[in-house]
Amino acid sequence: MSKLLRSWRTSILVRVSALTVALCMLLILVVGTFLTAQITNGVYREKMSASISEADSLSNYAQGQLDATTYRMDIKLKTVLDNIFHVGDVNSSVIQREVILLPTPKTAKISSKYQGSSNFLDFSILTPEFRNKVRKHFSVQSEYIKIKYLTGATIQGIAVGTVITIPNNLDYEIYYLFPLTQQEQLISLIDVLLWISGGILILLIALITWYGTGRIVKPVREAAEIAEELTAGDLGRRLVVRGEDEIGRLAVAFNEMAVSLQQQISRLENLSRLQQRFVADVSHELRTPLTTIRMASQVLYEARQNLDPASARSAELLIAQIERFETLLTDLLEVSRFDARAAILETHELNITSVTRQVCDQLHSPEELKIIAPENAVTAQVDPRRIERILRNLVSNAIDHSEGKGVTIQIAQGDHEIAVGVRDYGIGFSEREGERLFDRFWRADPSRSRLRGGTGLGLAIAREDAQLHEGTLKAWGRPGGGAHFVLTLPKSPGIPISEEPISVIPEDAPSPALFDIDVDDI
Amino acid sequence: MPLIMVVDDDQDLAEMLGIVLNGSGFEVDLVNNGDGVMEIFRANTPDLVLLDVMLPGIDGIEVCRLIRKESMVPIVMLTAKGDTHDVVLGLEAGADDYMVKPFNPSELVARLKVRLRRTVAEAITSLRIGDLAIDQVAHTIARDGKSIPLTRLEFDLLVALAKEPGRVFTREALLSEVWGYQHATDTRLVNVHIQRLRSKIERDPDNPELILTVRGVGYKAGSVGSSEK
Repeated sequence: MSKLLRSWRTSILVRVSALTVALCMLLILVVGTFLTAQITNGVYREKMSASISEADSLSNYAQGQLDATTYRMDIKLKTVLDNIFHVGDVNSSVIQREVILLPTPKTAKISSKYQGSSNFLDFSILTPEFRNKVRKHFSVQSEYIKIKYLTGATIQGIAVGTVITIPNNLDYEIYYLFPLTQQEQLISLIDVLLWISGGILILLIALITWYGTGRIVKPVREAAEIAEELTAGDLGRRLVVRGEDEIGRLAVAFNEMAVSLQQQISRLENLSRLQQRFVADVSHELRTPLTTIRMASQVLYEARQNLDPASARSAELLIAQIERFETLLTDLLEVSRFDARAAILETHELNITSVTRQVCDQLHSPEELKIIAPENAVTAQVDPRRIERILRNLVSNAIDHSEGKGVTIQIAQGDHEIAVGVRDYGIGFSEREGERLFDRFWRADPSRSRLRGGTGLGLAIAREDAQLHEGTLKAWGRPGGGAHFVLTLPKSPGIPISEEPISVIPEDAPSPALFDIDVDDI
Repeated sequence: MPLIMVVDDDQDLAEMLGIVLNGSGFEVDLVNNGDGVMEIFRANTPDLVLLDVMLPGIDGIEVCRLIRKESMVPIVMLTAKGDTHDVVLGLEAGADDYMVKPFNPSELVARLKVRLRRTVAEAITSLRIGDLAIDQVAHTIARDGKSIPLTRLEFDLLVALAKEPGRVFTREALLSEVWGYQHATDTRLVNVHIQRLRSKIERDPDNPELILTVRGVGYKAGSVGSSEK
């Protein structure tokens, strides 16, 4: 059922064919019914008039015979009456007609000895109304009735009645009953033929619709399939152009669209390649002179004892600024690599706990760094260079902003993910600042960051690095309540993160209600 | 004094490298063009080649390949790109180590010294790994009396593994032992050189028996027992 519904929804062919067939069926039903009614009517009417004229002549003949008995001795009343009942049905297996002779109520009071019928018939089929009508008019009267035999059989028929007078002034009603068996057979034959031809017509219409719609739908379906393949990236696919009709034009237009799409995409790809080349070239062109400058400054720096104090200090400043410039250049190139989507993930199995310890050791922090880690090893398939960079960034950031209150680093793991949370209790940040935290070159407190020589790109790169792993980097902060950065990564690339082993809202966070009240009070 | 051949198209950088290296006690040959490298190399036979990857004429990677064809001299590449592709290309062409510009001059000098150090002959002068005999004095290895040429770095790498047959070396440990790196996470160096070493000494480099990979950890020397069978 659902399959049918589905093909109804998804296929024009099915829908158009089904609708056409349904409409044609309705049409044939109406026309057929009308035709049958007309034919039935005509056939019955024709039989009716034939019956009336036959009954008329039969009754006239019978009356004549009856009248003759009064003056011709050779004609016996009994024979005449017998003949009345058996006129015409000579060696015919089909009943031509039945005859009923009934006394009028007036006669019945005197005698009903001539009452009779040609067969064992149920007289009650002749309704009193009909009999009244027959008696009132002296011409023949007719009616459609059901002929009922005493054996129980009934057939459709026509009754034609009139009054005849049997000698001695006895009025009798005579009824001729004509069965409609033949007419019914004829009509049912016509019915069957009509419905069979209707069925064949519907079948043909269905086939023609299916074929005709199919001819139109097929290219559309092909176009849909090829459009899907184009979307999937197979840009070389084209429609086959047949003819010059609307469908041919559709194919031509479709192909032109595909060509222009392909050109656009390859242009963009070219642009992206150019961009990457440009980044690589800038990288090389800047790095070579920078190397020379750096070496020169190192030579000057090492010889600073021999220089006058101003030159010696200049050498010191020079070397410090070159270092800063270098970091900035490295970060910028990294960012442009992300922008050009040229960043490549190189994953190895990495012990997150030991790399975190290593990073903390290397930072030579003046602050107390507390590392909370599970006893069993926490490992993940990650790019070590990037993970180390994220961690160094988060931890050094926390140290910079902790105001001597220490930094806690928590490591945890779920079934498919690992997480590192870096919590400090320093100046923190407001919600508005939090929104811009990961923006490039954004500094919460310019004087502070510049002092440390950060580039302002650290968190932006860290988030890109996390996203490259299909992981997340989230931040929580409260002014004066410190900050909490949580890095969550899948244990292996490609597995989506389903839970967060560490929530970004720290357990020791000031209760939100309390915090809100504080804000309102201010 | 060890002679270092500096191949760099940037004359200022080359001159600056000359000043720094001279100051650290090296003799320096400056070459500015990739095309002339091989003649000077053959004439002067330097103890180490410092090579810029991007050179006019033939590029640095090609020079590296040409030198490697003729000599096992240590080669250190200078590259402006930290990108994997270029680094791996250089290492596969035969470079022993690389420095990404801009580098710290003292770090450069330290690295060059590691590459130039002579392995001090230790108590055990003759080591074995599988069916290979390692002569630490003559700096040669041989299988069934036939010597196999190795670069000095490959030799150092093999000796490091062979000296402690039971130990599993992490890539980081090898980086610090053989290359002299501190806190390094660039393990590509190790991977590329292990592969090259295998291609020289393993009978079937795809199914190594002498240098085994310990998944998720690093490498170790294959069981010496295999030679005793």
